[in-house]
Amino acid sequence: MNRTGGNLYHNSTAQWLAYIALFGLLAIIPVVGAEPFQLRTFAGYAVFAMLAVSVSMVWGFGGILSLGQGIPYGLAAYCMGATMQMQFQTPDEPIPSFMLTNELEELPGVWKPFWHTHIGLILALGVPTLIMTVFGILMFQARLAGAFVAIMTLAMLNAFYSMAQDLQPFTAGFNGISPPNAFKAFGVEVDPYSPMMYWLALGVLAVVTFASKYMLQSKFGTIVQASRDDAERVRFLGYSVAYYQVVVFVFGGLIASLAGIVWVMIQQYVSPTALETPFSIYMVVWAAVGGRHSLFGAIVAAIVLNYLQTELADISETWQKAWLLILGGIFVAVVLLLPRGLAGAFEYLIGWIPFGGRSAKPAARPEAG
Amino acid sequence: MGIILELKDLTKAYDTYTVVDHLNLQVNEGELRCLIGPNGAGKTTTMDLITGRQKTTGGQVIFDGRNITGLKEHMIVRRGIGRKFQVPAVFKDLTVRENLEVAFNRNPDPFANMLMMFRRTDKARFDEIVDLIGLGERLGERAGYLSHGETQWLEIGMVLTQNPRLLLMDEPTAGMTEQETHKTSQIFNRLRGSHTLVVVEHDMTFVREIADVISVLHMGKLLAQGTMAEVENDPKVREVYLGAEGISDAT
Repeated sequence: MNRTGGNLYHNSTAQWLAYIALFGLLAIIPVVGAEPFQLRTFAGYAVFAMLAVSVSMVWGFGGILSLGQGIPYGLAAYCMGATMQMQFQTPDEPIPSFMLTNELEELPGVWKPFWHTHIGLILALGVPTLIMTVFGILMFQARLAGAFVAIMTLAMLNAFYSMAQDLQPFTAGFNGISPPNAFKAFGVEVDPYSPMMYWLALGVLAVVTFASKYMLQSKFGTIVQASRDDAERVRFLGYSVAYYQVVVFVFGGLIASLAGIVWVMIQQYVSPTALETPFSIYMVVWAAVGGRHSLFGAIVAAIVLNYLQTELADISETWQKAWLLILGGIFVAVVLLLPRGLAGAFEYLIGWIPFGGRSAKPAARPEAG
Repeated sequence: MGIILELKDLTKAYDTYTVVDHLNLQVNEGELRCLIGPNGAGKTTTMDLITGRQKTTGGQVIFDGRNITGLKEHMIVRRGIGRKFQVPAVFKDLTVRENLEVAFNRNPDPFANMLMMFRRTDKARFDEIVDLIGLGERLGERAGYLSHGETQWLEIGMVLTQNPRLLLMDEPTAGMTEQETHKTSQIFNRLRGSHTLVVVEHDMTFVREIADVISVLHMGKLLAQGTMAEVENDPKVREVYLGAEGISDAT
């Protein structure tokens, strides 16, 4: 069916308004009243939403099925964990306690930069970016695609997971690092249970979402989506597809890195679970359920699914155990019945509402809902 | 008018099987050249070798006096060679307008294109191409909804948007109805002179309508070359095309 001309869903102004409404709604949660521990949980949902946006960019729009979004997320989380741990250490007691139990007698070289909070933050973004860049260049220059990319990223994720487990003196192994104090910067301590933390998480989510949305509406976004549809054709229009893929892959990694940083601020804890395979697959499931061609859908699905999980876990342990089955069921149902996810169903429904005239911008991306 | 494309002893072999065998071919600037030959003659492979889609086993591709053998596809495109594929390749999820915008490649750098919000295309040129391919009414349509013929024209339009000096067209009328084929030949006749075209085609009616010079390939070698009449009466060509009937009946 042809609805390109008159579907409100494709109206660029309506799209921006929908995003502003969504973030406005989320922003008033602390004002209308929420318990501190609930706020902390909600801040966590914002992190999951960032990860869903990251997958949506890389997979939904870039066509790169990465099962390794946990790599930038986990690496950034470890860098942030180290930074916060070192905020607690003093020149008199420079060595974190888990290192002492691992019989380290001085602070390892790789930990020294984290004495400085600003360097720690730069590393938390820089290390994952560098690794994703090198990894991306290796994969996309070789024109890997589809299942091969999924396998490569998954293998890489597991390599980092093993490192986090096995390099116990540096990472505290499976116990993970738990910095005793909340993150401090510019003289401000960010209490994980405070509205400030929640708004900070939401603010980062808003920034990455609008940056992604902007990118998708630029010519860069059109070329990236064109490469997803037919890489060869794009190559034969004179673009280096590999270059574009590396850029979108690294951009998605940058979003996941920010998510990792915020997560550790909220949880004051980082462990190899951040690099576990299932977690990276959940991110893909969130994006798929929401509609991988829609940032909005990915955000909503990540929040709703995680909210459901938390609520069900509160009811009883049986429900907590049943959650994986439920999530799997939802995923299968969406793949079979709604291949474009909830956003696709919404696009279809809203297409029935009469909407006068053509889209404000005829070239609006049909899929960037 | 000089030679724009020259193939020197171009060779492509898979193990022991040689698909393109020391092929020598010259195309003049502004010419409309048709490349014909039975299945397996090496026509599409030759296009692949020119555009860098496949690696050559031997020989050279000289474009505009410079050796472009072994360059990557997108670099060859940037030198000025556009290509239309045998199976129409457009971006089905993008609109017709977006397809043409992607094709309008002023700056191939991803970071520069992040700043390109208003998609300033060359308006006059854009309109001219839309008019040429006759898709003015369908600009807002998703390319996936186009008919087969329209898809082929869109791809031709995309290649033209690049303003290439040499256009390679692989079976542009494949699967088209008679009217569509006729419209395509009109498009090609309008391009004649301002562009250099190399067209691989099976449809002899179409070849008759458009060709200046025809090159006949057989077993990866140049079998004959000349005008339609010369090629038709060439005994070697007649033999290749299923005996005595000649190419006139081979459609």
